[in-house]
Amino acid sequence: MSVIDIAKLRQRASALPVAALAPVREAAVRALTETGLPTTRDEHFKYTDLGEISALSERWLTDTPESAPSPAADAWLGRLTAETEIDWIVVRNGRASEPSMAVEGVSLRPMSESAVAPEITTPLAALNAALLEDGLLLDIERTPERPIGLVFLDDAETAPGIAPCRVAIRVADNTRADIVEYYASFGDEAHYSSAFLTLDLARGAAVNHVRIQDRGRTHSQTQNLRVTLGRDAEFRSAAFDFGGKLSRNDLLVDLPERGARAEFNGLYLAGDGQHVDNHTRVDHRVGPATSRQQYRGILSGRTRAVWNGKALVYEGADGTDAEQSNHNLLLSDNAEIDTKPELEIYAEDVRCSHGTTVGQLDEKALFYLRSRGISAEDAHRLLVNAFAASTLDMLPVTAIGQHLTALLEQRLRDLLRKRDSQ
Amino acid sequence: MLKIEDLHVRTGDAEILHGLSLEVNAGEVHAIMGPNGSGKSTLAQAVAGHEDYEVTAGRIEFEGEDIADLDPEERARAGIFLGFQYPVEIPGVNNAYLLKAALNAKREHEGLGEIDAYEFLKLAKEKMALLGMDPKFLNRGVNEGFSGGEKKRNEILQMAILEPKLAILDETDSGLDIDALKAVAEGVNALRAEDRAIVLVTHYQRLLDYIEPDHVHVLSKGRIIHSGDKTLATELEDRGYDWVVEAATA
Repeated sequence: MSVIDIAKLRQRASALPVAALAPVREAAVRALTETGLPTTRDEHFKYTDLGEISALSERWLTDTPESAPSPAADAWLGRLTAETEIDWIVVRNGRASEPSMAVEGVSLRPMSESAVAPEITTPLAALNAALLEDGLLLDIERTPERPIGLVFLDDAETAPGIAPCRVAIRVADNTRADIVEYYASFGDEAHYSSAFLTLDLARGAAVNHVRIQDRGRTHSQTQNLRVTLGRDAEFRSAAFDFGGKLSRNDLLVDLPERGARAEFNGLYLAGDGQHVDNHTRVDHRVGPATSRQQYRGILSGRTRAVWNGKALVYEGADGTDAEQSNHNLLLSDNAEIDTKPELEIYAEDVRCSHGTTVGQLDEKALFYLRSRGISAEDAHRLLVNAFAASTLDMLPVTAIGQHLTALLEQRLRDLLRKRDSQ
Repeated sequence: MLKIEDLHVRTGDAEILHGLSLEVNAGEVHAIMGPNGSGKSTLAQAVAGHEDYEVTAGRIEFEGEDIADLDPEERARAGIFLGFQYPVEIPGVNNAYLLKAALNAKREHEGLGEIDAYEFLKLAKEKMALLGMDPKFLNRGVNEGFSGGEKKRNEILQMAILEPKLAILDETDSGLDIDALKAVAEGVNALRAEDRAIVLVTHYQRLLDYIEPDHVHVLSKGRIIHSGDKTLATELEDRGYDWVVEAATA
């Protein structure tokens, strides 16, 4: 059981505005009373200890004033919107700055004003729903000209905090959309954010998706994205985890219709004191359908990363084609990776494969580069960049490419600099 | 240019070179021949500065300076080039990028500025034409998916662009068909110069039909046991190594 103080949680929940969500919040508090937050005794959280989040909730529930906005965050947001050809929806400290959108064929509104209710599927979803002021519903009815970005920005400048957010995205049939999901935070106070997103693709819809997590080093985050693909729908995604103290991502891909294709890749960097956990699950309910996933990790310093990729092929889902792989580069002896691919197959005619690797930089390649006059430091950087580059090469949303390339370079430099100074 | 005195080199638990001495002057081409396991590659790696090859005694002088304390990259910038027996594949690192970075590292060492992008491309294409290489190899990953012959040509391309003072080519002829061998030899011959020395490390005499050496040395059990002129190579091809080994131990 968690150490979350239920009485305080209920008190806090009942003080929130947007009365329409009050019954959901109360249901969430009740659910959490029964289950508590997951612990390392739960299979899905075996390597990821949420104790810190419980402790932080306690502080936040007592210590109510919200952090003052960070000036650095304003400047950063200004640059991001100026340098990318993307229509951004800004969610700051869990609240949408403007819950509407002036893009043809696209509508954005508060979840409380729609028929969509926040779901309470897991204890973390319950904690999210209990403290949720409001969510967002994004309907994409016609293919927009520019990508749509969701930027989740949290201030932790003057006070610790918790920011829950929810977004339900629906993409109409035969509609294409490019979607960017970007998490950032500013300030050095302890902070926890919880994001729950759903993405429903109707028949023949196609979504290109990029997720970037570049939170500050005092920030912990749990993020959950559930994608449901209609018949012949296509989902292509690349996810990048750079920052955060603790970062847990759950990507659930549901394939209930024939002809769907999901292709999702990820790259995580983890340096000293960071913990990053990616759990993915694909439900192949019918065939033919295809899923491809490739995650790569670069770990340095005293750090831990977790990757767990599960593909579940249901009885009768013949024609399923599922591939999963996880490759890790360990730059220090203190780094640990817990990697586990899982295939559970109940159908007969399937093509499924998985592979994982854990290794160090290739000493032969290092010497080869140095024998050509490249410094040891540059040789390391070149090889690490090369390892990371393959995920960037498959980037589904080009509008964020330039920004992401520069950010990745910076974060790799940070990772190697910390390594050299150890 | 290169002066090796009483060199002892160890790798792992085994001492491979037991007091090797060799002197190579500017303008000369030397061939180092010997049976497998005689220490030929160890010599090449030790001169290039591979950390797995520990110099336990003796010295290596390059242009009058002891290079024991120099890292591999410092030796490269000073003008030592090692052509690898097994060039390494490095996916994700662009071949043109490596060539340019290597050239710029050397230029920086010499107090020159970075080469202009256009000048570099011109230079690279000119050298590739000489070696019969398709310019498309510039945009591939370093040696990624290259055939054996393409890898060796790529080594010679790097050498041609870097114009080292001393080139040590380790088994550059192994695994080459006759066309590739000729192209590689032409590339090497084009680089013969008054101010440059070339050391060919090879098991077979075949390469020496195309690159005529000034001196031939026989390496056996970690020492140079016999030296001669180019006719020695032909003699070794006809009679094998045993007679030299026997004569040396007699």
